[in-house]
Amino acid sequence: MTITVSPIFLFNAERSEPEAAELWDGITDQQLGDWEGEWVPELFKAVQKLHRAGVERRHWPQSRHWNWRKKTEALQGMLAHLGFSIVCNGMTQGMMIVDTTMKRCRIEEQKGKNLVYVEFVENAPWNRPELAQPPLYRGIGSILVRAAIALSQEEEFKGRIGLHSLPQANSFYANTCGMSDLGMDPDHQDLRYFEMTPEQAEAFIAKGNQP
Amino acid sequence: MAAKKTMTLNLTDAEMRVLDELCEKKDLSKTAVLRQALRLYQLIESRVDKGDKLFFEDEKTKEKAEVMML
Repeated sequence: MTITVSPIFLFNAERSEPEAAELWDGITDQQLGDWEGEWVPELFKAVQKLHRAGVERRHWPQSRHWNWRKKTEALQGMLAHLGFSIVCNGMTQGMMIVDTTMKRCRIEEQKGKNLVYVEFVENAPWNRPELAQPPLYRGIGSILVRAAIALSQEEEFKGRIGLHSLPQANSFYANTCGMSDLGMDPDHQDLRYFEMTPEQAEAFIAKGNQP
Repeated sequence: MAAKKTMTLNLTDAEMRVLDELCEKKDLSKTAVLRQALRLYQLIESRVDKGDKLFFEDEKTKEKAEVMML
């Protein structure tokens, strides 16, 4: 598997300055090793902390059940599915899997058109505001959404993307990304479905790194 | 972006007409439509090879019809 590595910058919140990072168009053994060896134990500790603080289970991070190794293995070699990852300071900071084939747009003005559907996207636990205060690196979600938009444009889908959001991320997709909220989807565990039009994609790209 | 290779494709008039119609309907180039078709074909083949079945479901009646893959 040939991986293309693109230079990017993340915001290091501890040092209050940008830090050089990389966007990879793939998920490799290195990412899966980071996930198993660093993310999972960290997420376990964070869940334990929430439990001990009496936080209700429904407020725990829902991605705690995700197994990136199984997901990646299941999609290995499939043209319809692509993986992305962000590496900074030698560590995987975020991962995403998208589907370019099976889903169609739902917004009336673009109903039935092709889009890039974000199947899974996750930040490392230490970058998640609900688990770490302050998060170590900021900007990971935005960079991955931009990567999905760029892929959509490359595929001639004009920047159209869609996803089902976990409750913790609803505000990010609605307010930071400016995606349309099509409400809860009973066919998808009642998660809210968000979709981006070409105009919204352009506006999000033009906004750059502003919150 | 991954490197791409060029190939020549020989299609009948009928096949070309369908390809043109799909391009028009989906607002995609011929290359993009054929790439989509290849991905979908690979995905279906892979699921069928694992023993899965492919169905179409009528949204209103919920009636299912199996697509026989030979």
